[in-house]
Amino acid sequence: MNETRPPLHPVAQQLDSASIALASYPPVEKWDDWIEYDTARWPRKVEKHYQIVPTICFNCEAACGLIGLVDRETLRVRRFDGNPEHPGSRGRNCAKGPATLNQIHDPERIRYPLRRTGKRGEGKWQRVSWDEVLDDLAARVRKALEENRRNEIMYHVGRPGHELLYHQRILHAWGIDGHNSHTNVCSAGARAGYAFWSGIDRPSPDHANARFILLLSSHLESGHYFNPHAQRIIEGKQQGAKICVIDTRLSNTASKADYWLSSWPGSEAAILLAICNILLQEGRFDRDFVRKWVNWEEYLREEHADQPQTFQSFVSILKQIYGRYTPEFAAKEAGVDPQVLVEVAHEVARAGPAFSTHVWRNAAAGNLGGWQVARGLQFLSVLVGAVGTPGGTAPNAANKYIPAPPLMPPPAEVWNEMLLPREYPLAFFEMSFLLPHFIKEGRGKLAMYFTRVYNPVWTNPDGMSWIEMLTDESKVERHACLTPTWSETAWFADYVLPMGHASERHDLMSQETQAARWIGFRQPILRVALEKQGKRFNTTYEAHEAAGMGQIWEEDEFWIELSWRVDPDGALGIRKYFESPYAPGQKMTVDDYYRWIFENSVPGLPEAAAKQGVTPLEYMRKYGAYLIEDSVYHVHETRIKSRDLSDAITDPVSQIVSKDGVVLGVEVDGIACVGFPTPSRKLEFYSKTLKDWRWPEYAIPGYIKSHVHGENIDINAGERLLLPTFRLPTLIHTRSGNAKWLYEITHTNPIWINPNDAQILDVKTGDLLKVHTEIGYFVDKIWVTEGIKPGVVACSHHLGRWRLQEDSGGERWSTALVDLKNLGDGKWMMRQIHGIKPFKSDDPDSERIFWQDGGVHQNLTFPVQPDFISGQHCWHQKVRVTKAGPEDKYGDVFVDTNKSHQVYKRWLSKTRPAPGPNNLRRPLWLPRSYKPAPEAYYIKDR
Amino acid sequence: MRYGFVIDQNRCIGCHACTVACKEEHNIAVGVNRTWVKYVEKGTYPDTRRHFAVLRCNHCDDAPCIEICPTVALFRRRDGIVDFDHERCIGCQSCMQACPYDALYIDPDRNTAAKCNFDASRVERGYKPACEVVCPTEAILSGDLDDPGSAISRRIALEKVSVRKPEKGTRPKLFYVGVDGDLLQPTMMAPQSGHFWAEKQPGEDLYALQNHTERSIPGVAREVYDVPHATPWGKKIASYLWTKSIAAGMPLLSALFLTLGFEEDTIVLSFLSPLVSLSFLAATVLLLVLDLKQPARCLYLLTKPNPRSWLVLGSYALMSFGVLATVWLWQGVATGGVSPWIVWLTALFAILSAGYSAFLFAQARGRDFWQSPLLFWHLLVQAIVAGAAMLILTGSVFGLSLGLFYSLGNALIVALLLSLAMICGELCVKHGSEEVARAADLLIKGALRRQFWLFAIGVGVVAPLALLLWPGASIAFYVIASVLALTGLWVYEHLWIKAGQAVPLS
Repeated sequence: MNETRPPLHPVAQQLDSASIALASYPPVEKWDDWIEYDTARWPRKVEKHYQIVPTICFNCEAACGLIGLVDRETLRVRRFDGNPEHPGSRGRNCAKGPATLNQIHDPERIRYPLRRTGKRGEGKWQRVSWDEVLDDLAARVRKALEENRRNEIMYHVGRPGHELLYHQRILHAWGIDGHNSHTNVCSAGARAGYAFWSGIDRPSPDHANARFILLLSSHLESGHYFNPHAQRIIEGKQQGAKICVIDTRLSNTASKADYWLSSWPGSEAAILLAICNILLQEGRFDRDFVRKWVNWEEYLREEHADQPQTFQSFVSILKQIYGRYTPEFAAKEAGVDPQVLVEVAHEVARAGPAFSTHVWRNAAAGNLGGWQVARGLQFLSVLVGAVGTPGGTAPNAANKYIPAPPLMPPPAEVWNEMLLPREYPLAFFEMSFLLPHFIKEGRGKLAMYFTRVYNPVWTNPDGMSWIEMLTDESKVERHACLTPTWSETAWFADYVLPMGHASERHDLMSQETQAARWIGFRQPILRVALEKQGKRFNTTYEAHEAAGMGQIWEEDEFWIELSWRVDPDGALGIRKYFESPYAPGQKMTVDDYYRWIFENSVPGLPEAAAKQGVTPLEYMRKYGAYLIEDSVYHVHETRIKSRDLSDAITDPVSQIVSKDGVVLGVEVDGIACVGFPTPSRKLEFYSKTLKDWRWPEYAIPGYIKSHVHGENIDINAGERLLLPTFRLPTLIHTRSGNAKWLYEITHTNPIWINPNDAQILDVKTGDLLKVHTEIGYFVDKIWVTEGIKPGVVACSHHLGRWRLQEDSGGERWSTALVDLKNLGDGKWMMRQIHGIKPFKSDDPDSERIFWQDGGVHQNLTFPVQPDFISGQHCWHQKVRVTKAGPEDKYGDVFVDTNKSHQVYKRWLSKTRPAPGPNNLRRPLWLPRSYKPAPEAYYIKDR
Repeated sequence: MRYGFVIDQNRCIGCHACTVACKEEHNIAVGVNRTWVKYVEKGTYPDTRRHFAVLRCNHCDDAPCIEICPTVALFRRRDGIVDFDHERCIGCQSCMQACPYDALYIDPDRNTAAKCNFDASRVERGYKPACEVVCPTEAILSGDLDDPGSAISRRIALEKVSVRKPEKGTRPKLFYVGVDGDLLQPTMMAPQSGHFWAEKQPGEDLYALQNHTERSIPGVAREVYDVPHATPWGKKIASYLWTKSIAAGMPLLSALFLTLGFEEDTIVLSFLSPLVSLSFLAATVLLLVLDLKQPARCLYLLTKPNPRSWLVLGSYALMSFGVLATVWLWQGVATGGVSPWIVWLTALFAILSAGYSAFLFAQARGRDFWQSPLLFWHLLVQAIVAGAAMLILTGSVFGLSLGLFYSLGNALIVALLLSLAMICGELCVKHGSEEVARAADLLIKGALRRQFWLFAIGVGVVAPLALLLWPGASIAFYVIASVLALTGLWVYEHLWIKAGQAVPLS
């Protein structure tokens, strides 16, 4: 079967096709002048020259590597490919990677700093210079610091990226406790569950080497870390691993699973404990690992002093306690087949240490007590000894590396109760989504509120309360929104400050994508490309302006510059942290900053760079990533260095090894190991912390009936459980509305409903359904599917974006124009004026928009429901569903914020506030972002 | 060397990275795709799963798109890649009808056809296609099918693979591993009224509109996500068939009646007939040109012709017919008599002009409904219907002998009866393919049934027959019957074009 007829086309005659095997990636040595044929001219062979610069994707948190192809002639970014040098993503990306191109070239993009001219939220804007912005903001920060109103300065971040240590450095230099995050609407539940076990709040599954993979997540389509994990889950599957997915709805991930357990939301802990129980009763668990690494001795000592203090007796107690979690019990709670639970348990036992697991949001984020789901899952890993093993799940610290920056300021003795109030001493972390309610209660005000890539008006529950807060200029005196895109929240800012996308700023990333440690370097590729051509810039926004992108800036320089202006003379003690480590007294540049980090904080990097004859900074600019260590396993077994062990003491009871009051680790079978960063230095089946902080009933893994337990939902009265939390593979929260290639694939979020429920409600696909929550309602259309459990309705949380003005305030690819009316007395009504429409712009595609529907915004109608321990917003809603009436229109949203405040108070009343032991606000050992000085942990006013 | 793809649906997670990477590589406009991912669901809760398939050009060894392309804008490279040249494309969209896999679209930036070209521009520099490189799970593999040692050859040899619609005889070079078979065969899918994260475009799927069901039938695949698909041909093509029938039918019948005598009718037969015919031929050509997305490039048919394309051969037939009809007209005007040679040569080319479309539609291998073996004869019958009707109308204005009126009436009766038989033959006989059955069902009992029965059959065949066969039918009856027959014929062409494209190709 060879060539049939000779090609008639002239071009086809002269082929110089390579007869060698095709390669995937441009080799690094050709990146400075990479030649391709222009696809626009093909089949004519017109060569184009590109400068390739590596950077990091900014769509989800996975921090996958990208390489940007910058046209050397026009300085326009032609394309983003995967970075083959990146150890996590290995040159591959999901749809959101290449869609970065849409994001940077979006005709709707904000390209210059804007200052509002009318009332806040009125939508009148004026272009201002960065200097004006910096001077105004610096003055306000300085004034607040001088007047010791330190808690009135708040930095609220949605998607970090510019994060952790690097921003802690800035806020600690200012001497404030001002970091607020999105974590409590996201992963607080899972974090709490993991942290109570191991002191580390994130898991790192080694899927590639697993024999059995248990996911309470949808990592084949979303989540941390979608692309890197999907690669490795499928790799594991190809090597014979079986997959079990516990998820109420049929996700794409569930579709690839060998076992799909469609659980009633909130029953997952019961399922997991039932599997634990099968392993315990059948004796199919790793006795040696549990004996060595679980704090069973502490448990017996504290709770069963009357019993023999032996491992045997611990096992008997376990069997007795967990005996009640029979497969039948769990199956009844979850509405699944008990036999499947037995099969899964046997798969887990067979996999042993090669058993990888993951929960991040899903059940842990949806339910009251969701943190017990993560705890139950980790229990399972612990039982089979699959902790830090090849194919197991490690605490993420083993697989993440955050290099220290220069000049780290000490934390101040300050505690901001607007972040972590006394009601939530164990929360993970800041009670971010309660901020409007704190302010409503008069707990404080904000003199300077920075939001960064954070869209609480849209993303958080109860967004109308956020609008009420943000429009009250006496409560939020100044709001600066640092954002690469328009957002519903930016609309209510005083300054909208355009920050770079993935390829337009500096950043250092490291994520636990596999059993390794790597760093990835995000860089502004246009600036790098221009500087390679010999041009020099003081700021990245000047480079962007030179490349025709407007004055889009980056955070690193913004915060250095702002800090410099807050303390121009050094009187506040801030300036010194922003002086160059290489030129004393001079302002630090980003080059200084990363040069120092790469020269001093990344093990092996200086040597690797030297081998190539480049500096560490040049190495990172060239490759964009560095693998520090591969195949990292059994980190908890790392022996304490003998040098450290001299003069160390081992506590005879707890076996904890310490020196000069500093805990080094724990002795296990006579060997001093680093163990886990928990109080016992072991895996804490028993959390004395929970007991000490007045939650003795939850001191061990258990099952908390969710607020949406079947008992609380009266199906016959039209009540259903609304599952509002799932992601889609193509979108990322409210940051992808500027990506036309993603929106043309995905643009609606109909309500999933089982055919049984559709029959009961007498509705069919496309009909409108009115979903009543405790504080309001929304109207959305229906999609009848077999992929959802009867009694549960589900709606993806990505869609339903809106804007208030025809030509501004939201990307028109993705937002509906709405009319938002304040009806008084806390009542708000939103109605769509029109859906998505084609529009004129310099991108001809904007007139080719073929979709009209951008979905419905459901989160507005959710009251805040903070879990009493983890502080996680419990997303699942008990709702009443009715057919829409004649007065209802698609996309309608009604909310009563007075009711939402009442719900807030009801949930708040379930907490057991600090102080804990020793008048503490929070256990000193418990993870907390931007930990203040230890003295700040003690409540002084009691 | 023969490049092909293996797509492993066991590995594919339906993430659409390939779709977007392809868009980026070629800067593809919103609304069209070179590669896309289709989703179906099967089963009933909780025994249900979603399945994906990555769909695109199959780089067929026997590619129907190349065969039909009139200007060699589509071509097969020596390495087996089916590539295209937008600068040669006239935008006739026939490739979109020829491809059984829905792989082609009209690029709105250039108004020319485009499709997956295996990223030939990368391949020539030694690099893999963008979709393969981006894929998170390495589900896409390209390689040389002629090299027994290549990874792709080994996989195809050792694993169970399948291709889309092998019965089309196109010899696809895209092989699927682990795919749900229903995803490769659109007629196996139960149509749905909506998609789960995207709008289903209204009117996009006539069959679905008619037949969608809320019931889930276990084991039957439900389409839950797909991209929008274009319906390339519309009213202009229906009108082209109609004007062409008139243009061809008139001289054909005139030739017959000139041979049979009817000397008193020479004005109509020798002069008006070719004149009216030529004006409808001009309309035919105009419609064809206007239907091109690149009308200014219409002469490429002559300057860059693909001799295997019936679009080219057909245009030669139309041109020859036009020249002969002009000679006929010139002779008619100049001498009052036409040479029988010219008459019969014209008639021959009238037959070719009327009938060549059957070969063109046969080259539209994507559309089973148009593959009827009766089509050539049906087109001739339609030409006679149209020709007779138009001659009657012409005669009613300019005068005709009663004898010719009746003869034309008889011709019309016979042609209408034959046409009815042809329609029956095409629609009512048991169909060899599900695609044909579905298209026929659309006309007989589906979304198009009202227009079909009322206009195409009622107005177009039954009413004229009734009028013509009416005892004591007057000339007025003949005139009305002719108007109705022509109207019905246009509606029939319109519905036939529509139904042929209503069955999804992917």
